[in-house]
Amino acid sequence: MGDPKLSIKSPLVPFLGAVASALIAVLLYPHAAASPLTLGIWAVLLAESGLVKVPAGSGNRLSLAFIIGAAMPILLIDGTQPDLASTGLVYAAGLLVLGVARVIRGDGLEHVHADVMRLGVGLGVYAVTYAAIADILVTGGGLAWVDAPWDRLIAFVGAGAVWFIVEAGLWAIMTTRERGLSWRYLWLLGLGDWMVMLSMMATGALFGFSWEKLHIWAVLVAALPYGFAHVAFFRYLEARRTYGQTIRALSRIPEVAGLALEGHSDRTSSLAVETAQDLGLTPGEVTDVRYAALMHDIGRITLNEPSILRRGFTDEDIARWGAEIVAESPYLATVAGLVARQHEPYRRPGEQRDPSLPTASKIIKAASAYDHATMELGFSPLEGLEVLHRGAAYDYDPDVVVAVRRVLERRGAV
Amino acid sequence: MARRTTKIRNERRAKFVIATLYALGGLVVVAWLVTRESFPPIGLWLAFAAAFAFFDWRSVEVNDRLLLSPTIMVGLTAAVAFGPGHAALGVATMAALGAVSARDVKERRLFQPVANFGQLVVTSAAMGLVLEFFLKHAEAGGTGAFWLWLAAGSAAAALVNAAVNFAMVIIAVRTVFGQDLRMWSHMNELLPSYLGMGFIGGLLGATLLQARVVLPLVFVVFIIGYHAFASFGQLREAHAATLRGFVKALEAKDLYTRGHTERVAEFSVLCAQHMGFTGTRLERIEWAALIHDVGKLAVPRDLIRKPGKLSSEEYSELQRHAHAVEDILAEVEFLRPMVEIASAHHSNYDGSGYGGVGHIEGEEPSLEASILAVADAFDAMTSTRSYRMALSQSYAFTELRRNAGKQFHPEVVEHFIAAIGETKRRYGSPFLNDPEEARRMAEGRVESRG
Repeated sequence: MGDPKLSIKSPLVPFLGAVASALIAVLLYPHAAASPLTLGIWAVLLAESGLVKVPAGSGNRLSLAFIIGAAMPILLIDGTQPDLASTGLVYAAGLLVLGVARVIRGDGLEHVHADVMRLGVGLGVYAVTYAAIADILVTGGGLAWVDAPWDRLIAFVGAGAVWFIVEAGLWAIMTTRERGLSWRYLWLLGLGDWMVMLSMMATGALFGFSWEKLHIWAVLVAALPYGFAHVAFFRYLEARRTYGQTIRALSRIPEVAGLALEGHSDRTSSLAVETAQDLGLTPGEVTDVRYAALMHDIGRITLNEPSILRRGFTDEDIARWGAEIVAESPYLATVAGLVARQHEPYRRPGEQRDPSLPTASKIIKAASAYDHATMELGFSPLEGLEVLHRGAAYDYDPDVVVAVRRVLERRGAV
Repeated sequence: MARRTTKIRNERRAKFVIATLYALGGLVVVAWLVTRESFPPIGLWLAFAAAFAFFDWRSVEVNDRLLLSPTIMVGLTAAVAFGPGHAALGVATMAALGAVSARDVKERRLFQPVANFGQLVVTSAAMGLVLEFFLKHAEAGGTGAFWLWLAAGSAAAALVNAAVNFAMVIIAVRTVFGQDLRMWSHMNELLPSYLGMGFIGGLLGATLLQARVVLPLVFVVFIIGYHAFASFGQLREAHAATLRGFVKALEAKDLYTRGHTERVAEFSVLCAQHMGFTGTRLERIEWAALIHDVGKLAVPRDLIRKPGKLSSEEYSELQRHAHAVEDILAEVEFLRPMVEIASAHHSNYDGSGYGGVGHIEGEEPSLEASILAVADAFDAMTSTRSYRMALSQSYAFTELRRNAGKQFHPEVVEHFIAAIGETKRRYGSPFLNDPEEARRMAEGRVESRG
């Protein structure tokens, strides 16, 4: 996942990219203040760090080049001015080495090209923004009110923020086709990685600022706190994954007990999630939809009670029992609310739409009904969709039905 | 009743004594430091004090009872940044701010914050003094030596902090509650994190000395690390609450097994603690106990509640359902070891019995499964079931001992009986010692109701 594919198939494009970065490096060399050895070491380190990638919550994989890249303009200074020629040279040369190294590693030309290009655009934006802010603060327009090291900190903060926003946007655009999601949704998802990104950039800046005084010890100063944040973050990601697994496992208990159709909660959940994404719900809301759809039938566990079977039950009962079970966990209060209202019609005869009914509940109702029609009643996908269309007077919100249709069309089912 | 009141009164007196002693100790230490050292720059002190209080008020529970909070890191960073001649006083006064927690205010507790004040001041002062000793050497040496002294100093300071802190907690708990805390047995888990945090703290402090500009960056790193740990802790709690909630909700539907899971979990943990289990192993056994009957919850209720023996067909039906649920839970990586324990809780010590993935015919089950088996059997005997009334605790103990070596692990049985004995609670019926009579009574009740 995550690694973007570009439609540009021609091997000429990566070749041109390599030539361009080499050209930039050569052109910048006469202006660079740093020694060739220093420049070489940083370029190799940037390339090296680009080879190591860490997964983020969104599915994007961020390379450690964000640390070294962020450190460069802070670290490379010419007197009191930022040495931008050296920075650009390190970036260009580093990317070139990174690209070649990855091709040798056998990562596939297309992947390498897309990745390196994304990193290159990000680094370029970062360097230019940094230069602009530093220029205003240090030399420009009488704004030189910030003392020497603090202007670099402000330039870093501004440029880092811009870099992060651009990186998330580029990732969203590059993966939108592969993941079948709108780039806006993916962008929001990518912006959710701010914690990983901030920890990397802050580490880079810490390294950059302490290098001047501490030299090789700066590596330790930067690496240890980053390691701490990194470990903490991974334990968090791991716990989040396990949490999802647990909820999925619990949702299947009524199914193995023979009280619900096998696989119903899983299928309903995937259709509901895609519909929710289609309707532009935020990543947080989509997670709630996923959990609520998985557990929408958990109330059926009550159906092995003989007295209830004798008395009979309605959809409302299933929803209520389910919500009661889910509500046992205080962290799933929102999800419990969605489960409780999953059976409600979106409007009743003679009334307007019910504005208090969450879109998520309406989505789950439609997705569940579609799965019921196609899997239990044996309808074809088109007939299943017709069931939803026919029920659009009261039961299924027409907006939701249209979104379900779009999802099914994308899947190639209708 | 009278004895209880005396006990509470004694407890209050002990609390008062500890709080007074600790607070006096803290005040004496601060007074002594004032004569020896000067206060660090107020701006720097305020920045660190704010960070310290922030983290101290929101410590995160990461691994069962291990309280991990980055305060020690903030403390050491501050100590190094304040430098010799300021560090101990600066850090001790900073720590004093952390004495009052939000919970103390909410519950209007008085002794706790007063004792905390003394404890925090004394531990921080000790840490600061140790660090100052090393820093003086560090400044005398060259650059390379400086870093070595600093590394050694921050590690030593973190260790002294931990040692003084533990000692004060142990003394307080022993005086007030008469209990021995085995905190030292957690050392292997705590030590690396203390050392690591101390070391990072020292390094960051030294960096601050060189360039003030990194101060905001240091705080950012602190906050992200804290935030990640906090989210992790929250998620773990959410996870536990979800699973616990489900099990509770599911079993609440059955009158006869209601509370069984929670009790078995409690007994298993008591027994495992008595046997010296800690950390992940202890946690694992609690989870295993919580899920040990989930399989049964998905089985048609009339089958479970059916009085009398099940037919072999009904029995295999029950097993099939139970195993299907086990398989599902085993899909959750985190739960897999627990499912193995849980599914082996009907395995016998001599290798006979039945079970799912965790049961291997002819082999002694794991210690965890043996504990769970004993706890399950004990609760089954001491609670009322559809076919018999609850039996007495002494009967259950005799029965466990009688089957030790065959069905149950003999050592586990002895640990279990000792652990339950220590709780001073009694389970089951106060008088019913005869299973036949208990069965007849249950049947009689059914008849009279019919």
